[in-house]
Amino acid sequence: MMVMRVQRMPSESFAGGLAARLVAIILALLVAAIAFAWTGADLGKLGAHVLKSTFGSRFGLMDICLIMTPLILTGLAVTIAQKVGAWNIGAEGQFSAGAFAATSVALYVPGPAVLVLPLMVVAGALGGVIWILIPTLARAYADVSELITTLLLNFVGILLVYYVATGPWLDPSGLSFASTARLPPEIPLFWGDVHWGFPLAVLLTILVAVVLNYTRWGYEVRISGSNPSVAHYAAIPFRRHLIVVMILSGAIAGLAGMFELAGTTHRLQGGISNNFGYVGIMVAVLARGSALGVLLGAALMAVILKSGISLQTQGVSMSTVIALTGLILFFTAIADELSHYRVVRPMRTEN
Amino acid sequence: MMMHAMPEAGATIASGIPVEPVVRLKGIGKRFPGVIANQDVDFDLVPGEIHALLGENGAGKSTLMNVLTGIYRPDSGEILVDGQSKTFGSPVEAIAAGIGMVHQHFKLVKAFTVAENIHLGWKEAPRRISKQSLEARTTELAASLKLAVKPDARISDLSTGEQQRVEILRVLSRNPRVLILDEPTAVLTPAEAGELFRALRQFVALGNAVIFISHKLDEVLEISDRVTVLRGGRKVATRMTSECDKRMLARLMVGQDVVLGNMRTRGPDAKPISPNSVLSLLNVSARDDAGDLALKRVTINVRPGEVLGIAGVAGNGQKELSQVLTGTRRLAGGTIEVGGKDLSSAGPDAFALFGVGHIPEDRLHSGLAPALSITDNVVIREYGKAPLSRGWVYRPAAAANLARSIAEAASVKILDFGMPVRNLSGGNQQRLVARREMRIASNVLVAAYPCRGLDVGAITAMLRYFTELRDAGVGIVFFSEDLEELIKLSDRIAVMFHGEIMGVVDAAEVDIEAIGLMMGGQRREPSAAGN
Repeated sequence: MMVMRVQRMPSESFAGGLAARLVAIILALLVAAIAFAWTGADLGKLGAHVLKSTFGSRFGLMDICLIMTPLILTGLAVTIAQKVGAWNIGAEGQFSAGAFAATSVALYVPGPAVLVLPLMVVAGALGGVIWILIPTLARAYADVSELITTLLLNFVGILLVYYVATGPWLDPSGLSFASTARLPPEIPLFWGDVHWGFPLAVLLTILVAVVLNYTRWGYEVRISGSNPSVAHYAAIPFRRHLIVVMILSGAIAGLAGMFELAGTTHRLQGGISNNFGYVGIMVAVLARGSALGVLLGAALMAVILKSGISLQTQGVSMSTVIALTGLILFFTAIADELSHYRVVRPMRTEN
Repeated sequence: MMMHAMPEAGATIASGIPVEPVVRLKGIGKRFPGVIANQDVDFDLVPGEIHALLGENGAGKSTLMNVLTGIYRPDSGEILVDGQSKTFGSPVEAIAAGIGMVHQHFKLVKAFTVAENIHLGWKEAPRRISKQSLEARTTELAASLKLAVKPDARISDLSTGEQQRVEILRVLSRNPRVLILDEPTAVLTPAEAGELFRALRQFVALGNAVIFISHKLDEVLEISDRVTVLRGGRKVATRMTSECDKRMLARLMVGQDVVLGNMRTRGPDAKPISPNSVLSLLNVSARDDAGDLALKRVTINVRPGEVLGIAGVAGNGQKELSQVLTGTRRLAGGTIEVGGKDLSSAGPDAFALFGVGHIPEDRLHSGLAPALSITDNVVIREYGKAPLSRGWVYRPAAAANLARSIAEAASVKILDFGMPVRNLSGGNQQRLVARREMRIASNVLVAAYPCRGLDVGAITAMLRYFTELRDAGVGIVFFSEDLEELIKLSDRIAVMFHGEIMGVVDAAEVDIEAIGLMMGGQRREPSAAGN
């Protein structure tokens, strides 16, 4: 009697993992489609609309690149922290702090954009660093869970931006309730509406991937993150790597805030972080610890978010789209587990 | 079973009375990707016997028992219980059929009390439970089975021996007729092992049966009625234990004659032991992780070309000593000299740089990064040197080459070097760590329980490597809980008790009893062989 059976494997193949993820995404879309159909929506029309507004037009592709830019960076920030064994849930706050710091430079430092923009980049990164500094030191020296501290500082960062955008830095023209005036220094454009932040974010990701895989430092970070005791045993300075990498993570998230500010919104608005930090966690989960995977993860999330925005014109609320991202994460988690299983045929029983 | 009367106590297979087996395995086959874990294995177990299952690591002992208890399903073959064919979908079904297993790694919830663990997932646990009722039931159960446990103690507060007793009690509470123990004595002191053996004999005297998995020949000879030997996933033989001796079992297990005996004899071109020590501790004290003084004014020295054995009951400061010797634990007092330099306040990097290799006690936690690849793990001592690194640049291809050669030298077969190292068996992990450390041990090798979890063949190979290093002039500090092994290999033996050295003796002149007394706290004045 031949019976097919499934069996758990200790490791999964690359192709298997990729296929499982694709299936997960398709399943999530299917569930969403069923929900839409149930509420009486015209699926064909919605689908055509989504395709047209994303891949179907130059503007759609530009928007996707614009949404990808912060997502690549926040995803990278979470991924790099994971490498050293830390969960940076605070990219949202670091993003806000970066945007805030960059705005302060734009508002108070006079001079040509050529000089002010680099200063804003430094300020943005520095803002992110300051936001992650306390969680970093608390983790490194007192073993306080960075999961909690980074998360809680998100609220502080988001509210700080709201405060200045509605109070001291409010647009004096009176045209806006929660935004500064348009800030003159702008990141130059790269393609259509897409600013140079996009290729820079991609380059930074490749750079991080190379550094992690092809330097001694990258190896040491990997060991430290995986098992601090073995790092100590092999004389690898775990604490130093933890601090440096977490600070780097904060800087990257802060940079995301600066890019968004000086490349896309051009004003510091309340809620400028727009969940990019949290979605960055999803990007990192989808990337499974691979810096290059961050690019794919960010692209996927950008397409979904962009679809969501364009679906709003069709009467689909943004909450529905956020729920869809949740579904994708949910199915991905299941797929990751299932991709460890193989269907095996039993050996024929002898005699 | 209906046809046969329940055998009387003592009516084992040894008495020559034919008995119906309670469990029979026929032609069991189990294959994992790239590995045949079991092939065509026949096995039977009769009431009233203790049946030892002997084999090297990876011989398929645990797989066979996991098949029997429903954790794995066999690819081929048949399981008969009381003559009837059974398929177990899970351990729950196996226990319902009266087959219980005590695993090598206990399946207990550490944060729960003993009473809670006993009742967890038990059909007979009362629906409405209170702390008192659970504890009262546990006390009663423990008394009826003569296994003393503290019902209200948390598992995490118990010693390994006590945890094992809870695990056994939990399995016995389900009234099994067949009890399987997977290397139960690996975690026990000799006294605790004796207690366990008495309990097992009582258990089989009631007409039950025990399968005893082990790779220790002595205890197999002591406890079992019959012994089945597995090698490479196949059954080699089943014999009456009374007809076996150590040598013959070792041969069956390994497939060739194993040379046991004195390994102190040096090779013809071995370097002589140098009188100057390469590593010496003077009045060294150190604290354990809880902050208590675990080493008290320890003074020992290691000479190039000798093996210094460290004996002692586990938990008497050996772990801290091995860490102090490699710079991975800070001193609370005293001085360490390595190669003539004072390294009292140096870190592990200075020790490694001088050529001190370290095979740590708990390899998975302090010697390996379990989730990282095999390559990442075996190059951890050499990643910063050429050809793996040039300046800042790390070369994964060169690392993979080194990993291949280390695995080959350690005779570990690896299909995929990118696989997480935790997927390897414990024995293979140990071999890789040992090889990795021997490569950098140009002056000293600190080996903490390097043979733990290895089988006879692998132990012999490991000790051989040590003699080669010794003959090349490396000073070796060899921690072991096996006195025979210590005496066989060491030139001198230091005995630890409560963080102190009770004495250093010449291994050629001392007998096991004398060391046993020192392990119990009797001090011995330094002899001529000592310092």
